[in-house]
Amino acid sequence: MEGDHRSFRIALTSDRYVNPPPGELDGLAVLGEAGWGVMQLPPEDYPAELRRSMLVEVAEQAEEFSRRGYDVVLIGDDEGLMDALHAVNTARPAQLVPASEAELLDFLRSRPVPEAAHLLK
Amino acid sequence: MSVAFVAHCLLNQNSKTDGGAACAGVYSPAVDLLRARGWRIEQMPCPELAFTGLNRFWAVREQYDTLAYRRHCQRIAASVAAAIASRVERGEDVVLIGVEGSPSMGVCITSSDPRRGGRPGWPDGAGELTVGEGIYVEELRRELQSRGVGLPRVVGVTHPLPDHDAEAERAALESLLEP
Repeated sequence: MEGDHRSFRIALTSDRYVNPPPGELDGLAVLGEAGWGVMQLPPEDYPAELRRSMLVEVAEQAEEFSRRGYDVVLIGDDEGLMDALHAVNTARPAQLVPASEAELLDFLRSRPVPEAAHLLK
Repeated sequence: MSVAFVAHCLLNQNSKTDGGAACAGVYSPAVDLLRARGWRIEQMPCPELAFTGLNRFWAVREQYDTLAYRRHCQRIAASVAAAIASRVERGEDVVLIGVEGSPSMGVCITSSDPRRGGRPGWPDGAGELTVGEGIYVEELRRELQSRGVGLPRVVGVTHPLPDHDAEAERAALESLLEP
Protein backbone atom coordinates (compact mmCIF):
# COMPACT_ATOMS: atom_id res chain seq x y z
CA MET A 1 0.00 0.00 0.00
CA GLU A 2 2.93 2.31 -0.58
CA GLY A 3 1.73 5.82 -1.36
CA ASP A 4 -1.85 4.86 -0.61
CA HIS A 5 -3.67 7.08 1.86
CA ARG A 6 -6.85 5.12 2.57
CA SER A 7 -8.25 5.04 6.09
CA PHE A 8 -9.88 1.57 6.02
CA ARG A 9 -12.96 3.25 7.54
CA ILE A 10 -16.31 3.43 5.76
CA ALA A 11 -19.51 5.16 6.88
CA LEU A 12 -22.76 4.07 5.24
CA THR A 13 -24.44 7.44 5.46
CA SER A 14 -28.05 8.54 5.11
CA ASP A 15 -28.65 11.07 2.39
CA ARG A 16 -29.74 13.72 4.87
CA TYR A 17 -26.19 13.79 6.28
CA VAL A 18 -24.61 13.98 2.81
CA ASN A 19 -26.98 16.66 1.50
CA PRO A 20 -28.19 18.27 4.74
CA PRO A 21 -31.02 20.77 4.79
CA PRO A 22 -29.94 24.25 5.87
CA GLY A 23 -29.03 24.35 9.53
CA GLU A 24 -28.88 20.58 9.92
CA LEU A 25 -25.83 18.47 10.78
CA ASP A 26 -23.34 18.29 7.89
CA GLY A 27 -22.26 14.69 8.33
CA LEU A 28 -20.25 14.58 5.10
CA ALA A 29 -18.05 17.44 6.27
CA VAL A 30 -17.44 15.81 9.64
CA LEU A 31 -16.72 12.41 8.12
CA GLY A 32 -14.41 13.88 5.51
CA GLU A 33 -12.47 15.86 8.07
CA ALA A 34 -12.16 12.76 10.27
CA GLY A 35 -10.78 10.74 7.35
CA TRP A 36 -13.71 8.41 6.78
CA GLY A 37 -14.90 7.25 3.40
CA VAL A 38 -18.61 7.68 2.74
CA MET A 39 -21.07 5.35 1.06
CA GLN A 40 -24.24 7.34 0.51
CA LEU A 41 -27.60 5.67 1.06
CA PRO A 42 -30.32 6.41 -1.50
CA PRO A 43 -32.57 9.44 -0.95
CA GLU A 44 -35.87 8.64 0.68
CA ASP A 45 -37.91 10.36 -2.03
CA TYR A 46 -36.92 7.85 -4.72
CA PRO A 47 -39.49 5.16 -5.63
CA ALA A 48 -39.30 2.04 -3.44
CA GLU A 49 -38.15 -0.24 -6.26
CA LEU A 50 -35.34 2.14 -7.24
CA ARG A 51 -34.23 2.44 -3.61
CA ARG A 52 -34.24 -1.34 -3.29
CA SER A 53 -32.00 -1.81 -6.33
CA MET A 54 -29.64 0.94 -5.12
CA LEU A 55 -29.39 -0.71 -1.71
CA VAL A 56 -28.43 -4.01 -3.36
CA GLU A 57 -25.36 -2.25 -4.77
CA VAL A 58 -24.54 -0.59 -1.43
CA ALA A 59 -24.83 -3.90 0.40
CA GLU A 60 -22.60 -5.80 -2.03
CA GLN A 61 -19.89 -3.17 -1.69
CA ALA A 62 -20.27 -3.02 2.10
CA GLU A 63 -19.91 -6.80 2.21
CA GLU A 64 -16.57 -6.58 0.41
CA PHE A 65 -15.26 -3.91 2.79
CA SER A 66 -16.49 -5.78 5.85
CA ARG A 67 -15.08 -9.15 4.78
CA ARG A 68 -11.69 -7.56 4.09
CA GLY A 69 -11.44 -6.12 7.60
CA TYR A 70 -12.39 -2.50 6.96
CA ASP A 71 -14.44 -0.79 9.68
CA VAL A 72 -17.98 -0.25 8.38
CA VAL A 73 -20.48 1.82 10.38
CA LEU A 74 -23.94 3.21 9.71
CA ILE A 75 -24.61 6.91 10.18
CA GLY A 76 -28.34 7.45 10.10
CA ASP A 77 -30.88 4.73 9.45
CA ASP A 78 -32.46 2.77 6.64
CA GLU A 79 -34.59 -0.32 7.26
CA GLY A 80 -34.22 -1.37 3.65
CA LEU A 81 -30.46 -1.48 4.12
CA MET A 82 -30.79 -4.12 6.82
CA ASP A 83 -32.66 -6.41 4.43
CA ALA A 84 -30.03 -5.83 1.73
CA LEU A 85 -27.16 -6.54 4.14
CA HIS A 86 -28.91 -9.67 5.41
CA ALA A 87 -29.20 -10.91 1.83
CA VAL A 88 -25.39 -10.83 1.49
CA ASN A 89 -24.79 -12.36 4.94
CA THR A 90 -23.38 -9.16 6.37
CA ALA A 91 -24.03 -8.21 9.98
CA ARG A 92 -25.75 -4.99 11.00
CA PRO A 93 -22.98 -2.41 11.41
CA ALA A 94 -22.47 -0.26 14.48
CA GLN A 95 -24.92 2.60 14.12
CA LEU A 96 -25.39 6.19 15.21
CA VAL A 97 -28.13 8.66 14.38
CA PRO A 98 -26.21 11.76 15.38
CA ALA A 99 -27.82 14.96 16.50
CA SER A 100 -24.64 16.99 16.67
CA GLU A 101 -21.13 17.21 15.27
CA ALA A 102 -19.67 16.44 18.70
CA GLU A 103 -21.77 13.28 19.05
CA LEU A 104 -20.69 12.08 15.62
CA LEU A 105 -17.02 12.81 16.31
CA ASP A 106 -17.16 10.99 19.65
CA PHE A 107 -18.61 7.95 17.92
CA LEU A 108 -15.99 7.95 15.18
CA ARG A 109 -13.15 8.36 17.66
CA SER A 110 -14.45 5.45 19.72
CA ARG A 111 -14.04 2.98 16.88
CA PRO A 112 -11.21 0.43 17.05
CA VAL A 113 -8.37 0.38 14.55
CA PRO A 114 -9.65 -1.60 11.55
CA GLU A 115 -8.29 -5.09 11.12
CA ALA A 116 -7.28 -4.31 7.54
CA ALA A 117 -5.13 -1.42 8.71
CA HIS A 118 -3.06 -3.89 10.75
CA LEU A 119 -2.84 -6.39 7.92
CA LEU A 120 -2.10 -4.13 4.99
CA LYS A 121 -0.26 -1.06 6.25
CA MET B 1 -32.07 22.08 -8.01
CA SER B 2 -28.69 21.01 -9.41
CA VAL B 3 -27.49 17.45 -8.93
CA ALA B 4 -24.02 15.96 -9.51
CA PHE B 5 -23.81 12.21 -9.95
CA VAL B 6 -20.27 11.45 -8.86
CA ALA B 7 -17.94 8.48 -9.10
CA HIS B 8 -18.01 6.41 -5.94
CA CYS B 9 -14.38 7.10 -5.07
CA LEU B 10 -14.92 10.85 -4.82
CA LEU B 11 -16.63 10.18 -1.49
CA ASN B 12 -14.72 7.01 -0.66
CA GLN B 13 -11.08 6.64 -1.63
CA ASN B 14 -11.06 3.29 0.19
CA SER B 15 -12.63 1.83 -2.95
CA LYS B 16 -9.53 2.51 -5.03
CA THR B 17 -7.15 -0.13 -6.33
CA ASP B 18 -4.18 -0.65 -4.01
CA GLY B 19 -1.88 2.34 -4.32
CA GLY B 20 -4.55 4.63 -5.75
CA ALA B 21 -6.08 6.31 -2.71
CA ALA B 22 -5.13 9.97 -2.92
CA CYS B 23 -6.52 10.71 0.55
CA ALA B 24 -8.09 9.00 3.56
CA GLY B 25 -11.72 9.11 2.51
CA VAL B 26 -13.46 12.04 0.82
CA TYR B 27 -11.71 13.65 -2.17
CA SER B 28 -12.31 17.20 -1.05
CA PRO B 29 -11.16 19.20 -4.11
CA ALA B 30 -14.24 18.05 -6.02
CA VAL B 31 -16.67 17.65 -3.14
CA ASP B 32 -15.93 21.02 -1.55
CA LEU B 33 -16.43 22.79 -4.87
CA LEU B 34 -19.78 21.09 -5.49
CA ARG B 35 -21.04 21.98 -2.04
CA ALA B 36 -19.77 25.55 -2.20
CA ARG B 37 -21.78 25.99 -5.40
CA GLY B 38 -24.90 24.49 -3.80
CA TRP B 39 -24.95 21.27 -5.81
CA ARG B 40 -26.64 18.19 -4.45
CA ILE B 41 -24.35 15.11 -4.51
CA GLU B 42 -25.42 11.62 -5.50
CA GLN B 43 -22.77 8.89 -5.36
CA MET B 44 -22.73 6.19 -8.01
CA PRO B 45 -21.60 2.66 -7.11
CA CYS B 46 -18.02 1.62 -7.93
CA PRO B 47 -18.48 -0.99 -10.67
CA GLU B 48 -15.06 -2.54 -10.10
CA LEU B 49 -15.31 -2.88 -6.32
CA ALA B 50 -18.14 -5.41 -6.13
CA PHE B 51 -17.00 -7.28 -9.25
CA THR B 52 -13.27 -7.80 -8.69
CA GLY B 53 -12.93 -6.70 -5.08
CA LEU B 54 -10.51 -4.70 -3.02
CA ASN B 55 -7.55 -6.92 -3.88
CA ARG B 56 -7.87 -6.30 -7.62
CA PHE B 57 -4.87 -5.41 -9.76
CA TRP B 58 -4.57 -2.21 -11.72
CA ALA B 59 -6.19 -3.09 -15.04
CA VAL B 60 -6.97 -1.73 -18.48
CA ARG B 61 -10.22 -1.76 -20.45
CA GLU B 62 -9.44 -4.99 -22.27
CA GLN B 63 -9.14 -6.89 -19.00
CA TYR B 64 -12.60 -5.74 -17.88
CA ASP B 65 -14.27 -5.89 -21.27
CA THR B 66 -16.13 -9.17 -20.82
CA LEU B 67 -19.79 -10.01 -21.19
CA ALA B 68 -20.06 -10.66 -17.45
CA TYR B 69 -18.56 -7.31 -16.49
CA ARG B 70 -20.73 -5.45 -18.97
CA ARG B 71 -23.82 -7.15 -17.51
CA HIS B 72 -22.67 -6.05 -14.06
CA CYS B 73 -22.22 -2.47 -15.30
CA GLN B 74 -25.62 -2.61 -17.03
CA ARG B 75 -27.27 -3.57 -13.75
CA ILE B 76 -25.70 -0.59 -11.98
CA ALA B 77 -26.38 1.73 -14.92
CA ALA B 78 -30.08 0.81 -14.87
CA SER B 79 -30.45 2.17 -11.34
CA VAL B 80 -28.31 5.24 -11.92
CA ALA B 81 -30.07 6.04 -15.21
CA ALA B 82 -33.45 5.78 -13.48
CA ALA B 83 -32.27 8.25 -10.85
CA ILE B 84 -30.86 10.63 -13.47
CA ALA B 85 -34.05 10.37 -15.54
CA SER B 86 -36.19 11.22 -12.53
CA ARG B 87 -34.09 14.33 -11.91
CA VAL B 88 -34.23 15.38 -15.55
CA GLU B 89 -38.00 14.90 -15.59
CA ARG B 90 -38.25 17.32 -12.66
CA GLY B 91 -36.31 19.90 -14.67
CA GLU B 92 -33.22 19.68 -12.51
CA ASP B 93 -29.74 20.38 -13.87
CA VAL B 94 -27.66 17.19 -13.85
CA VAL B 95 -23.93 16.64 -14.36
CA LEU B 96 -21.77 13.55 -14.11
CA ILE B 97 -18.26 13.47 -12.64
CA GLY B 98 -16.08 10.49 -13.51
CA VAL B 99 -12.43 9.56 -13.08
CA GLU B 100 -10.02 10.09 -15.93
CA GLY B 101 -7.76 7.18 -16.77
CA SER B 102 -10.15 4.63 -15.28
CA PRO B 103 -11.08 1.59 -17.39
CA SER B 104 -14.61 1.89 -15.98
CA MET B 105 -15.23 5.49 -14.92
CA GLY B 106 -13.21 7.46 -17.48
CA VAL B 107 -15.27 10.08 -19.32
CA CYS B 108 -12.66 11.48 -21.72
CA ILE B 109 -9.57 9.41 -20.93
CA THR B 110 -9.52 5.69 -20.25
CA SER B 111 -6.78 3.06 -20.27
CA SER B 112 -6.16 0.53 -22.99
CA ASP B 113 -3.53 -2.09 -23.78
CA PRO B 114 -4.63 -5.12 -25.81
CA ARG B 115 -1.45 -7.01 -24.89
CA ARG B 116 -1.89 -6.77 -21.14
CA GLY B 117 -2.54 -10.02 -19.30
CA GLY B 118 -0.86 -12.82 -17.40
CA ARG B 119 1.62 -12.26 -14.61
CA PRO B 120 1.58 -8.55 -13.68
CA GLY B 121 4.84 -6.84 -14.47
CA TRP B 122 4.28 -3.62 -16.35
CA PRO B 123 6.52 -0.71 -15.50
CA ASP B 124 5.14 2.56 -14.16
CA GLY B 125 4.39 4.94 -16.95
CA ALA B 126 3.36 2.25 -19.41
CA GLY B 127 1.45 4.04 -22.16
CA GLU B 128 -2.05 2.74 -21.52
CA LEU B 129 -3.86 6.09 -21.30
CA THR B 130 -5.96 6.84 -24.34
CA VAL B 131 -8.90 8.97 -25.40
CA GLY B 132 -12.22 7.29 -24.67
CA GLU B 133 -14.84 6.36 -22.12
CA GLY B 134 -14.65 3.64 -19.50
CA ILE B 135 -16.89 0.59 -19.79
CA TYR B 136 -19.38 1.65 -17.11
CA VAL B 137 -19.73 5.12 -18.63
CA GLU B 138 -20.42 3.51 -22.02
CA GLU B 139 -23.12 1.34 -20.50
CA LEU B 140 -24.64 4.29 -18.65
CA ARG B 141 -24.75 6.28 -21.90
CA ARG B 142 -26.56 3.38 -23.60
CA GLU B 143 -29.02 2.99 -20.74
CA LEU B 144 -29.82 6.70 -20.74
CA GLN B 145 -30.29 6.67 -24.52
CA SER B 146 -32.73 3.77 -24.19
CA ARG B 147 -34.74 5.98 -21.81
CA GLY B 148 -34.62 8.94 -24.17
CA VAL B 149 -32.26 10.86 -21.91
CA GLY B 150 -28.89 12.12 -23.10
CA LEU B 151 -25.71 11.72 -21.10
CA PRO B 152 -25.43 14.79 -18.84
CA ARG B 153 -22.53 17.21 -19.09
CA VAL B 154 -19.47 15.33 -17.90
CA VAL B 155 -15.99 15.87 -16.57
CA GLY B 156 -13.49 13.61 -14.84
CA VAL B 157 -11.26 14.26 -11.87
CA THR B 158 -7.65 13.84 -12.91
CA HIS B 159 -5.77 12.95 -9.74
CA PRO B 160 -4.95 9.42 -11.03
CA LEU B 161 -3.17 10.81 -14.11
CA PRO B 162 0.62 11.27 -14.08
CA ASP B 163 0.30 14.85 -15.32
CA HIS B 164 -2.44 15.79 -12.81
CA ASP B 165 -2.76 19.55 -12.41
CA ALA B 166 -4.93 20.51 -9.45
CA GLU B 167 -5.68 23.97 -10.82
CA ALA B 168 -6.67 22.60 -14.22
CA GLU B 169 -8.91 20.02 -12.54
CA ARG B 170 -10.63 22.73 -10.53
CA ALA B 171 -11.09 24.90 -13.62
CA ALA B 172 -12.68 22.01 -15.49
CA LEU B 173 -15.03 21.31 -12.59
CA GLU B 174 -15.97 24.98 -12.32
CA SER B 175 -16.68 25.10 -16.04
CA LEU B 176 -18.89 22.01 -15.77
CA LEU B 177 -20.99 23.60 -13.04
CA GLU B 178 -21.74 26.73 -15.02
CA PRO B 179 -25.38 26.68 -16.10
